[in-house]
Amino acid sequence: MLVLAGIVVLHITAIILLLVATIDNAWWLTDSVATDVWGRWELSGSAWHYTNLKGDYAEEYLQVVQAGAVLACIFSILGLFVFVAQLFTLTKGQRFTFSGALMLISCLCVMIAASIYTDIFHKQDQGWFGHSFILAWISFVLTFILGVIYVVLRKKSE
Amino acid sequence: MLTILALASVILLGIVPQQSEAIVIYTGWERHALVGSDIRLSCSFFSWRWTSDDVTFSWSYRADGARDSISVFHYAGGSPYVDNKGPFRDRLEFVGNPGRRDGSILLKNLDYGDNGTFTCDAKNPPDIVGRASSVRLLVFEKVPIQAGVITGAIIGAVLGLLVLVVVIYYLMRFLVARRVFNLSVSKHGKKGKGKEGSQQRQVPVLSIGDPSKLKAAASEKKKQESRKDKK
Repeated sequence: MLVLAGIVVLHITAIILLLVATIDNAWWLTDSVATDVWGRWELSGSAWHYTNLKGDYAEEYLQVVQAGAVLACIFSILGLFVFVAQLFTLTKGQRFTFSGALMLISCLCVMIAASIYTDIFHKQDQGWFGHSFILAWISFVLTFILGVIYVVLRKKSE
Repeated sequence: MLTILALASVILLGIVPQQSEAIVIYTGWERHALVGSDIRLSCSFFSWRWTSDDVTFSWSYRADGARDSISVFHYAGGSPYVDNKGPFRDRLEFVGNPGRRDGSILLKNLDYGDNGTFTCDAKNPPDIVGRASSVRLLVFEKVPIQAGVITGAIIGAVLGLLVLVVVIYYLMRFLVARRVFNLSVSKHGKKGKGKEGSQQRQVPVLSIGDPSKLKAAASEKKKQESRKDKK
């Protein structure tokens, strides 16, 4: 029972981290700019202004990063629902393979997105990686662990 | 009572058309095109009146960076007049249908110098009060990828693939279970279908009664293996 609660809490944490990494525009930060993957916030004076990302960016790579982040969120949320459903429908002793597979796909998507971002963007800029970027990599680790757990776990009697 | 109601409705009907008697003109907002290609700039309008015979359309063009605009097309009195002196001579064609309130023009063989704003003004007498509408033309060497097209395509493709895999998986399971069921039924001759000849192919090892026993046998095996303990 405790193990089950722990796994569900871990899964929800992974979902929340993925959502923050995808939605918050803070993959790259400087003193006055917070940017990616959907838009750019610039601090001028004391007010933040939102502008579009265009022109000086590699468009195709940016869109792949966007797609990867969104797909990772979708698959992890689907994974949670499938896990809960499988809790009630699996026969005794079977493995949660479908949920594990979904979590591993989500892990793959966020890994693709984060690696492309690390390798392509902001190679010559001054600044540092922001919290969304860090959360993306943390959720990569979490989703991987969860995927492995689901693939290995067996259903006990219920 | 009825007379007051009739009077009120007549007054209201008299007031309302006054306010809505402006003509509303629709063009696009922005148009993208490749160098050397043709583009159709559409212009239509909405008016409370019937389309009159004296309907007029006129297009004017203001280049990017220029301060004034020149007139390039005019339709009046049932005939179109295209530009024959300006930057669009021999390149402009009228492809609209004024009877259907369409005053679109076709620009051929675009060049970088055609970047600018095209304004369409239409009048449908007596409905002449209205605001002209503008469309911006952008000429590219290579049409840029619109924001989000690749994103949407990747997401759609992956989700579609997932749905396909799930459907195929369940279909295979359903077909295999049904095949075993059919074979076992005919073997025991319960329904007496009389098709013995066709069932001579390989009967799978599990010649058990029905599919539910199949699952029970499989999970029995797994029950004997080790289980994850509480920690």
